[in-house]
Amino acid sequence: MLTKQDAKNLADKILSYSKLPGCSVNINASETVFIRFANNGITTSGYSLDQGVSIESTTEDKRTGSANVSEWSDEALRNGVELAERLARISQPDPEFMPALGPQQYPELPNFDVSTGNSRGDALIGHVKAVIDGARGAKLTTAGFVQRSANWIAVANKAGLFGYHQYTDSTLTNTMRNAGGTSSGWSTQISTSIKDLNGQDAARISVEKCVRGDGKKRLEPGKYTVILEPAAVSDLIGYLGFSFGARDAEQGQSFLSKKADKPGQTLLGEKLFPEYITLRNDPFNPKLASSPWSGSLLPNEKIAWIENGVVKNLFYDRFWAEKAGKKPTPFPSNLILDGQNHTLEDLIKSADKALLVTRLWYMRVLQPQTMQVTGLTRDGVFLVEKGKVTDPVMNFRWNESPVRVMQNTKMLAAPVRTQGAEAGSSLAPAILATDFNFASISDAV
Amino acid sequence: MKLLDPTRRFHRRAFLAGSATTAASLLFAEELFGAPDADSTKPNPALEKLAAIALAEAKKQGATYCDIRINRYRNQFSGYRLSPERDGSKTDEVPFVNDGTSFGFGVRVIAKGQWGFAASPLVTPAEIARITREAVTVAKANSVLQAQPVELAPTKGYVDRWTSPFEKDPFEVPVDEKLELVHGATRTVKKNPKVFSAFGGLFFHSEDKYFASTEGSSIQQLIIQSNPFLNANAVDSQKGISRDRSYQVAPQARGWEYVLMSNIGENARRIADEVVEHLSAPPVTAGKKDLVLLPSHLCLTIHESIGHSTELDRALGYEANYAGTSFLTTDKMGKFRVGSDVVNFFGDRTTEFGMSTVKYDDDGVKTMRFPIIEKGIFKHYQTIRDQAHLIGETESRGCCYADSWSSVPFQRMPNVWLAPSESDTTADDLIAGVDDGVLIEGTGSYSIDQQRYNFQFGGDAFWEIKGGKKRGMISRVAYQARTPDFWQACDAIAGRAYWQQYGLFNDGKGEPTQINAMSHGCAPSRFRQINVLVTD
Repeated sequence: MLTKQDAKNLADKILSYSKLPGCSVNINASETVFIRFANNGITTSGYSLDQGVSIESTTEDKRTGSANVSEWSDEALRNGVELAERLARISQPDPEFMPALGPQQYPELPNFDVSTGNSRGDALIGHVKAVIDGARGAKLTTAGFVQRSANWIAVANKAGLFGYHQYTDSTLTNTMRNAGGTSSGWSTQISTSIKDLNGQDAARISVEKCVRGDGKKRLEPGKYTVILEPAAVSDLIGYLGFSFGARDAEQGQSFLSKKADKPGQTLLGEKLFPEYITLRNDPFNPKLASSPWSGSLLPNEKIAWIENGVVKNLFYDRFWAEKAGKKPTPFPSNLILDGQNHTLEDLIKSADKALLVTRLWYMRVLQPQTMQVTGLTRDGVFLVEKGKVTDPVMNFRWNESPVRVMQNTKMLAAPVRTQGAEAGSSLAPAILATDFNFASISDAV
Repeated sequence: MKLLDPTRRFHRRAFLAGSATTAASLLFAEELFGAPDADSTKPNPALEKLAAIALAEAKKQGATYCDIRINRYRNQFSGYRLSPERDGSKTDEVPFVNDGTSFGFGVRVIAKGQWGFAASPLVTPAEIARITREAVTVAKANSVLQAQPVELAPTKGYVDRWTSPFEKDPFEVPVDEKLELVHGATRTVKKNPKVFSAFGGLFFHSEDKYFASTEGSSIQQLIIQSNPFLNANAVDSQKGISRDRSYQVAPQARGWEYVLMSNIGENARRIADEVVEHLSAPPVTAGKKDLVLLPSHLCLTIHESIGHSTELDRALGYEANYAGTSFLTTDKMGKFRVGSDVVNFFGDRTTEFGMSTVKYDDDGVKTMRFPIIEKGIFKHYQTIRDQAHLIGETESRGCCYADSWSSVPFQRMPNVWLAPSESDTTADDLIAGVDDGVLIEGTGSYSIDQQRYNFQFGGDAFWEIKGGKKRGMISRVAYQARTPDFWQACDAIAGRAYWQQYGLFNDGKGEPTQINAMSHGCAPSRFRQINVLVTD
């Protein structure tokens, strides 16, 4: 563990080695405990410590060099600073360099759970046992992963800035497969506190999906109304969030660029989505492991990217904000898609014909200006008919834009902390959206 | 001034020689891996001394097996981004230079029949003993749940030192020389007024690896890899589209000489012209078409469809929760037809300049070449020591790798290469046999399902083939297929003279996720009647 005082001492020591006018440091340390299991038994597990310091040095004429070191001996740190300074001196002036920020008032974020930080393998193994027992009880095979991490981060620079933060996070995911390999089910749990993990609940959900998923029906590809579970929505909004950069939007490189003779105009302020779509950052939400500072080292803050369907803000780094005469904004991360007062069951009940999708897989952007993305469904697609889940359906490849999905969203459940496979963690609701484009069938189970 | 060139300090050996009188201040990692006797065939005794602490402590704690890896990694990334200022009046030329090292150790044990692992960045005798005890604690805790004890396929103990082949250590080349090279190339790209932005860089990676085990191995290896690249982007704001064109140099385990061979500067003007052509290129017409795929593109299709589907850990369900399983289940080994008769694949960590090439894997097993697909039939999986017995095999095929000292070694992809044909067929010969098709170069978007059946690939550049001739560029191309259908549709592969070894740096797998690098050598190949679609 790295206390605030440890971090301050370390930062001061590194900065004291600096000879150039500018020096900033980024310190990280972590302790991770994990257990991985497959075929109803543990495969690998471990206890791992890690640490690193990134040092960025800058000359008077804005030449910058950076070095990362993992050794924290005085010699190693001094060497790291010298290396960054040598690189800075032989580089060229950076026309987009921004002067160092002075001292900042960073918010205190409540996302370090002491018992999670202190827990070891014995606190995780009960969940693994519960998942394996759930699999055996249903004559299924499970594979999964449970982990907890404690993380310490700090930033400092020669202009007097210093920030320190600690946070924990924990996850439990598992996949159930049947003996014939004809069905699979998946569930995920993620929380800053290990107390929120529950192996029995995790097993119950993935067992139910796997058992219910046997005997898949072959549906023709095409456009369907979909009910996307939170993990699937999380990946879509994650991709959407990445494309809120003001620079890309102004320079014709994003779905927020306006078609025009000359680049420069954006869709900021336009109502692109239904009024019930609000996508935002909230670093103060205790359920998300966030950071008190944004990428530019300004204090992190709440911000809406889409508010009541209107494109409310773009991401401005300090350089682009200065050029545009705007206030810098934090990077879209720790996203929250606001929901409605519905449950997943309400969404299912409301659908005459829809496909219920558990999660998405292997997503890649095909065209940034439309945000068309390709990907697949995985671990449970079910036909919903007249408000009831009926048959399991084979997986699909899809080519669809998260922008269009948000535009076609008709109903949302309440958001929950979740994580898909592709775009990090968020608070996302299940949604019902029309006209989702499935391109072909995938034989994969 | 020249004598005081600060970049001299990057020179591994020059640094040592220049600092001989202040040896006490040397970095510990430098002491261990940059020893003056680097040409020796024996590992550094200082590494062996540290490793002995773990091996002895593990035995004392009741472990039946132990290995320790003490590793140092170095990454250096430098280059330029040239892009317009906000008002578009001038170009910002933004340089970047980063050099990073990571140094630490990981200990793996078998105790009570189960694996345990622990790792730390503090490479000291006391910490090695403590972490070894942690690894044993982890293993013993796991034994509560698992009935089957770990079984390791036998391997010899080796004492050896090996270095990947390079003529000039890229870390010894002054960084200003690197920046100058990339600056020149990116400027050439941006000189074309229709180019929006240019991006170029040089990435160098090294792994100093030491492995010792209770089975008598003591192995020190050094791997150096180089990857130059150059990209051009063009935008049509009226149509609301942008296109890229890259000079995708294959990453290879070679030194600075490889950067010079890649002629970045000479390719800069070409990609600038081609990105502009790409921007106005008409879209492909959708439908079944013949594809001629060049090695710079086919490498990724091989990786996703053949490389991953023939990993034994996937077939056995170890990756079911994350990367996925495989359509090539163990009952298919030796008999399932994946491709046509012309399709032959090898797994091979001995290929010269291959990104996965080492002399010994992270199980301490000597690497080898083995057939994966012979005349279209699936023959062998990629394996490691604790899996071989599960399919009735008696030795590992040397595919064990961990991406860091802090990561657990597990089964990772070796270089998986497609054999060229024995003929002297050229890419032009392949094109001549196509009436309506697409020629694809370079990698673009890529996506494949969790059992490696259904895939969709884009590319970096596409040309129409009509009546046996390559025509102008086209755009918005992606093709979709099912792995066995696709490889069975392969009717011709070019000859040995056209075989090229492209590769990848960042293949993700495992939980916690680890990356891996490998090469996929191949010659231009032709595929009949593949489903081509138009993307947005």
